[in-house]
Amino acid sequence: MNLTRRQTLASLAALAGSGLMPSLTFAQDAGTFRIGALNPITGAGGPYGTGMQKMIAAAAEVVNAAGGAAGRMFEVFAEDTQTQPQAAVLAAKKLIEVNKVQAVLGTWSSGVSLAVLPLASEANIPLFHCSGAPALSVAPANEKKLGYRFQATNDRFGRAFAEIATKEGFKRPATMAFNNASGIGNTEGFEKAWKAKGGEIVASVVYEPAQPSYRAELQKILDAKPDVIVMGSYIADTTIILREWYQTGEENTFIMPAWAGNPELVKALGPDVVEGIISVDSISNEGSPAFAAFDAAYQSAVGHPGLTNVYAAMTWDMVTVLALAMEAAGPGADMAAINAKIREVANPDGKQVSSFAEGKEALKSGPINYEGASSVLDFDEFGDVTPDFAASFIRSGEIKREYVVTL
Amino acid sequence: MTGFAELLLSGVMSGLIIGLAGLAVTLVFGIARFSNAATGDTMTLGAYGALLGTTLTGSLIFGGLVGLLAGALAAVLSYVLVFRQLANRSPISSLLASIGLAFFVRAGLGLAFGHNQSVFQLDIVRPIRFLDLRIQPNDLKFAAIALVTLVIVFIILHMTPIGRRMRAVADNPLLARVSGIAPRPVMFTLWAMAGAVSAIAGIILGMKTVVSPEMGWDMLLPAFAAAVLGGIGHPVGAIVGGLVIGVAQELATPFVGFTYKIAVSFIVLLLVLLVRPRGMFGRVEGVR
Amino acid sequence: MDAYLIAIAIVSGIYLLLALGLNLQFGLTGLINFGHVGFFCVGAYTSAILSTNGVPVAWSLLAAALVGMLAAWPLGVISIRLREDYFAIASLGFSEIVRLVATSEGWLTNGVQGIAGIPRIFSGVTGQSQAIAMLAIVTVFCVLAILAMRRIVRSPFGRMIEAIRDNEEAVKSLGKDPAGFKMQVLLLGSMLAGLSGALYAHYIGYISPDQFIPFITFQIWMAIIMGGVGRISGTVAGVIILMVFLEGSRFLRDIAPFIPEVAMASIRLGAIGLALMLFTIYRPQGLMGDYTKR
Repeated sequence: MNLTRRQTLASLAALAGSGLMPSLTFAQDAGTFRIGALNPITGAGGPYGTGMQKMIAAAAEVVNAAGGAAGRMFEVFAEDTQTQPQAAVLAAKKLIEVNKVQAVLGTWSSGVSLAVLPLASEANIPLFHCSGAPALSVAPANEKKLGYRFQATNDRFGRAFAEIATKEGFKRPATMAFNNASGIGNTEGFEKAWKAKGGEIVASVVYEPAQPSYRAELQKILDAKPDVIVMGSYIADTTIILREWYQTGEENTFIMPAWAGNPELVKALGPDVVEGIISVDSISNEGSPAFAAFDAAYQSAVGHPGLTNVYAAMTWDMVTVLALAMEAAGPGADMAAINAKIREVANPDGKQVSSFAEGKEALKSGPINYEGASSVLDFDEFGDVTPDFAASFIRSGEIKREYVVTL
Repeated sequence: MTGFAELLLSGVMSGLIIGLAGLAVTLVFGIARFSNAATGDTMTLGAYGALLGTTLTGSLIFGGLVGLLAGALAAVLSYVLVFRQLANRSPISSLLASIGLAFFVRAGLGLAFGHNQSVFQLDIVRPIRFLDLRIQPNDLKFAAIALVTLVIVFIILHMTPIGRRMRAVADNPLLARVSGIAPRPVMFTLWAMAGAVSAIAGIILGMKTVVSPEMGWDMLLPAFAAAVLGGIGHPVGAIVGGLVIGVAQELATPFVGFTYKIAVSFIVLLLVLLVRPRGMFGRVEGVR
Repeated sequence: MDAYLIAIAIVSGIYLLLALGLNLQFGLTGLINFGHVGFFCVGAYTSAILSTNGVPVAWSLLAAALVGMLAAWPLGVISIRLREDYFAIASLGFSEIVRLVATSEGWLTNGVQGIAGIPRIFSGVTGQSQAIAMLAIVTVFCVLAILAMRRIVRSPFGRMIEAIRDNEEAVKSLGKDPAGFKMQVLLLGSMLAGLSGALYAHYIGYISPDQFIPFITFQIWMAIIMGGVGRISGTVAGVIILMVFLEGSRFLRDIAPFIPEVAMASIRLGAIGLALMLFTIYRPQGLMGDYTKR
């Protein structure tokens, strides 16, 4: 008995040991800069996480191929947040303490970013994230101003919804939101912007996920006779709600975020049901040379067009911006000096550049303004960007972008 | 008034699915004497089986049969590999093992099919109007399938020799054994039946909503609530319990809002248990 | 590396408090509590709300333990006399209701946005020493809880609850009311869960309702089953195994790079499931359990 127990413990220790050893063998090297890729590989962010991680690695390679940032080569350490704050905290601790990373890139869900940002701030390293929660802009979360948001806030999404609803001439909008920070953030942002324009919301519902039917929720909305329903939703619940909506025979339209109104939705429901839906996304900076470079890298690493993963474009930019800020800060600069340069290399009134190599060259003669793959990437005082939004319409089963909304 | 009637209707539809899942829980409990937490994931397995069958054969009906067989087979296998080993232990062991099995099945489905949603390609049609009431033709079909399932379970339990033996085991396992009822065919039939019923619940749920590895686990709580509400081990009770929960959830929404919808089923459950600790149809059992 | 190990140790300690409470309830008394995470959640929110409103952390920790305990009282009143598996369902439902309240009552809990910026314990110190101080606090609570458990096991109360676990009918026939004892055990275990939740909130610094899902409860169940039900050493061992399980998969990547990342979540879940099944079938007494007792 004792023997068995000892053996079990010994083998457990061996397992733990064998796992820990490789990470211990990395030596400190002045010529490298370690970055942590902390992405939602599993969990709700799973569809995007792998692509995000691959783009961090790919962009780091590009920087290294151009001679490194201020002479330092990037070394990437990857971790999975599991899209859960608690798992993310341990992963971040591992990255910061075991791998000694000097920047953490690519957290996705707001809960994860809110949990990781204080850790990064404590270690005086920046966190670049793609989360929407407004709380990430300000203290206490962003007290040290080391958090940079590469995604639009939920609030800005809501404002874009309101712009589109106005432009389309809707008069009686209703809202439906998935009961989480992102879902409610979208519809509340919309309601705020819509009311500011003097409009009225005829009905609004917040629903819990994973139900066999959403008919009661729909009924409350439809009883108010809306001409458009603004959704803060995800793909699964949207599929169910639209199917039930179609079977009620009502004729209103929908405005929804693009992570719900995507080709998968069309495939699931067929062209008749989704006809006329307006799908809104913050858009990558598609015409830009930076986007073309990202797209090529994404195609070769993942095998899909870069348009399918707007977050991967953001992580691509994260690495590039970081590298440019390091280049601008000069060799051997510490994190505070690098952090001070981030807005300088990304915001206007400098020579427009769209890749690290180009920026590196231009920095020799003066200030630069990196125009990213994900947006023009101008950070405000909170470290937030304001990307443009696109309104796409689903017609005969095709999702077609019809116009761009600039806030 | 129409609003009320439509809420009722949608409650009945949700209730039938919950009730079917509750029926599977209750069947296992009646004879194997433990709460099977793997019921939800057997539902998921059935839904994926049906999906695969439909894709391979192009026929929804044939696909459904594949799903049903998959559910039944999985349940029998789970009995042979796991629950038979635990038959002489406390019901808690089986309950814990069933949670393990549930995770295992869900993980397997996640590995095999990924985490993106899948859907059954049903014709989505505009509703039938009946006295100003909107009735969805697909719902009528689902309700019919649920009722047929229930009837078949009843025929098996009450009109076949194996059903009589099952009920004898449920009433008094010791007496049944002494009277020479062989346990093995009884258990095999039971698990096949429970698995098939779970699969049907899963397939209907999958057709009404979307198929994902988590779908069944999410339904487990209401299913347990339905079984307990009806008096665990009591088949009619499970269906009625499911209907009560489904309808109560929908009808309560104008008063408590939508986010508390799920809480309603537990509050109903707790209230019923306060008055009738053995559930609506439960008998007072002796010492197990 | 140190800080990472300290982080794991802190989380292990938080889990250990949860597991000790559950071991008292299930291991010693036979109470099947599937709603443990509910009291963890209540404790986390209590301490988070109080301390973000200026209450000193020492008081908010105490309040979290008390409110965690009080939250169990209505559940106990309604369902402690129910048959064991009915209680399991009722408690599971209860924890879901707690989560829904945390989600829906935004005026109190900030709803789905969660509560950010929860103050650290010992806010005076920072960095490594902060983590060490946190670890010290968690360790102190764990040691106190373990000592309390040992006293309970050896007391008449402990013998009574074990008697309830082994044969409730016999206890009844002796004229004792098992429900009263079960209630006390439920309250005690929930107090530990509440305290654990408060420590969690102050450690992570951000809480939101979706962190308090039933899966946490089942992880704790797995820990006590694998370690050995009813034994304190088993509970400790079980929590260590759980952490090796959860964190080990991070390092698995280094030894087994051929496993795709996306499959990792499923593999982790499947391994927990498989372990639960194998342990209940082949080693129901757990790693540290008494081999002679089944």
